[in-house]
Amino acid sequence: MNGEEGFMKSKEKVAVKKYKSKLTFWQKVWQSRILLLMCLPAVVFFFMFSYMPMPGIWVAFVKYNYRSGIFGSKFVGFQNFKFLFTSGKLLSLTTNTILYNLAFIILGNVLAVFVAILLNEVRSKYFVKVSQTIMFLPYFISQVLVGILVYYLLNYDSGFVNSILGALGLELWQPYSDASVWPAILIIVYLWQQTGYNSVVYFAAIMGIDESMLEAAKVDGANGFQRIRYIILPSLKGTIVILLLFALGGIVKGNFGLFYNIIGTNSLLYSTTDIIETYVYRATMTDFNFSTASAVGLYQSVIGFVIVMVVNFVVKKIEPDYSLF
Amino acid sequence: MRTLSRRDFLKGSAAGLVGAALSSAIGGTFALAEESDYWANWGDIDTSEHVVINYMTTGDKPTGEALDNLNAMLEQLNAILTEKVNAEIEIYYIEWTDYLSNYNLTLASMDGSVDLVGTASDWLDAWPNAKNGAFLELSEDMLSTYAPATYASVPQENWDMCKYDGEIYLMPEDNYAQWTNHGFAYRLDWAREAGLEDGVHSWEDMTTYFQYVTEAYPDIQAWDSDGTNYATMVGGWISSKTNYVSIDGINSGAMWGGTKDDLYTVYSPYATETDLLVEFAEMMKSWDEMGVWVTDVLNNTDASNRDEFRVGLSAAEQHHTQTWTDLCSDTAANTIYEDDEDAEVGFFYFGEESQNVVALSITHGAMAVSAASANPERALMVYDLIRNDEECYRLFNYGIEGVSYEITEDGYKTTPEGYDSETQNINGMTNYWWGRNDDLEIKSAELNWDAIDELYAIYDEIKIEYPYGQFVANVDEISYMIDNISEIHTNYMKQIAYGKYTGTAEEIVAEYQAALASAGIDDVTAELQAQFDELYGA
Repeated sequence: MNGEEGFMKSKEKVAVKKYKSKLTFWQKVWQSRILLLMCLPAVVFFFMFSYMPMPGIWVAFVKYNYRSGIFGSKFVGFQNFKFLFTSGKLLSLTTNTILYNLAFIILGNVLAVFVAILLNEVRSKYFVKVSQTIMFLPYFISQVLVGILVYYLLNYDSGFVNSILGALGLELWQPYSDASVWPAILIIVYLWQQTGYNSVVYFAAIMGIDESMLEAAKVDGANGFQRIRYIILPSLKGTIVILLLFALGGIVKGNFGLFYNIIGTNSLLYSTTDIIETYVYRATMTDFNFSTASAVGLYQSVIGFVIVMVVNFVVKKIEPDYSLF
Repeated sequence: MRTLSRRDFLKGSAAGLVGAALSSAIGGTFALAEESDYWANWGDIDTSEHVVINYMTTGDKPTGEALDNLNAMLEQLNAILTEKVNAEIEIYYIEWTDYLSNYNLTLASMDGSVDLVGTASDWLDAWPNAKNGAFLELSEDMLSTYAPATYASVPQENWDMCKYDGEIYLMPEDNYAQWTNHGFAYRLDWAREAGLEDGVHSWEDMTTYFQYVTEAYPDIQAWDSDGTNYATMVGGWISSKTNYVSIDGINSGAMWGGTKDDLYTVYSPYATETDLLVEFAEMMKSWDEMGVWVTDVLNNTDASNRDEFRVGLSAAEQHHTQTWTDLCSDTAANTIYEDDEDAEVGFFYFGEESQNVVALSITHGAMAVSAASANPERALMVYDLIRNDEECYRLFNYGIEGVSYEITEDGYKTTPEGYDSETQNINGMTNYWWGRNDDLEIKSAELNWDAIDELYAIYDEIKIEYPYGQFVANVDEISYMIDNISEIHTNYMKQIAYGKYTGTAEEIVAEYQAALASAGIDDVTAELQAQFDELYGA
């Protein structure tokens, strides 16, 4: 048996080798033309928007002059990074950014999976569609409007919450002067906005699970919870890991729109809400310094790159199938 | 003339008065002839190709009927410009939303989309853009050829203030009287009710005023601030209580300067005037507790206090004198005067207590030419006409006579019947703040000139000229410290100037000053001093 298997394998190998050597590169290209054509838009997109601008990183190391251009301007080494490192805030800004993003990623995905599973269990198609639409809607609301909505909900003098508290004779709440409550508020707003969108991906993945497995489990007497625990969740693992990996790459990039529109420039709240983006925006918007902005971008990209590599390495050790590369 | 005998001359003198009148009349026409002579040499310039000059200004692009009216004016103006220099002007708007970023971005793109650039050394980044290469160097040769009237009207010392590294980059608005020193416009009639017979003349009076207003008029917001006035507030406090004179254009807080007695020793009162800042923090806390502004003032971004003030829904507006000249006048928009015949609006200017008022820098408004302009010569010619030719000036600033403005018998400017300020206010559409010219300005009949002239007379008496016009700080090496200092200043001053800090005034000021120190405020001061010494001599 073993011998036969080995023989079969080596024969197959030879066949593959022969087959390979027969075709030139261009023949192979021609053979897979449909597949290649299908990924062409993505390749062009990434080439144009991710690879072509890359040499522009150089702007982070020069004193940029409009007329001399990026490569003609004077080289200044790490001068542009100085601003970031001497503010004394880099650590708190980076941790704020990362902690918020961790919360967004973990809670966001958990909630999205949870919602997707719930939707899957609902039998009424009509109900599923309506609730999906309602959950999806906040995703389309501009962050600027979200900021205003939050203000009109929570402001002290005429906010919705305080109107109710006041009418009930309770003590009024003053969140815009209290930094400690904002992590919770920001996370809730984020989840409210994003869950509908995120759950669609998971819902689609659940739809893709082989129906016969679930039926077999049912026949074997598995109840609803058991089917979720032993079939649906394990089937979603791949999707979850890949989405996590993608999200982790951007963990040092803050959600500027969310933070800037809700917190604005209320410095009372910065201790818990200031992220790299908002700080840099405030500190450099007045002097419009491309070089400093690029230096910050480069710093974020480098950290993001390191994190992706580390996480991918860890995933590869534990579950090689799920690693990105 | 030579043939005139002495006797003839004496004879002529018999008609003394008539002669004087005649000669002044002749002088007048002479001056006019001379003026157009500025442009006499333009005949030699090749203007065979018709070009469009894009004039960039901050402001929101008019729409609908307003845009039609603007275009009607531009059509007339462009007919003149085409005839004179074979060019026409188009307006390129930098909308107010995020204007500074968009302004700089447009200049940085260097694609030739703009030619004439309205700029300012204090509120638009004139000098950083000049340094970054966005503006064309204007040689005296170029100016005297293509903008001869402007060149002749700006004195040499003013040109010197428009130079960076020996090159002229800006054409200054140096012949236009305006005051943009800040202060509080307030209801003088309510101040009298509060027992301030002469009105408000100090910060302490202002406290009394707010105390009264918040109690007597609980339905209005005493000052519906949007939370952005922290820097002008503390700046106003410091100029009122000291002789501090700030240097423009280093950061938005204007945190460095000298004193009236010692102009060239650089210091930052924000780092040294501890007691004064504590006093300020305490007073602002008391204003906050009175409810002068809304509780969440720092997030109150959609407030429109000035419009509320116009209709009697707010009791104070913190802005500059120029804004007050409008608020104190019985215009159609200011309905307080219609609703309440006692209504009067006074102005408490910052610096009043110590008579510390600095005249506006001549580059508070200036015109530059984009380095990417394809037709810089023609751009200069168009600017020269708009700034100095009466017909062009009036069209561009006031619109079409009879439609957007009329001139009264006594020489004031007024609005014709059926005038609609929403759609026919050309002045508010061309936003020409970069070369207004008092020789051609017509006073508006609507403004309360009695009150305005009175205040201007006081200013003229106590003012000093802006002393640092020629100083263009080189901040390349220290900009990272300044960025961080600005950030600290903004963050703490929001809390201090709106009384929103926790703990005592002493604690928050100490914390603020410690943060400034660790961000390197002393190093910046020392560097600026070194640059001062180089320019003005040690």
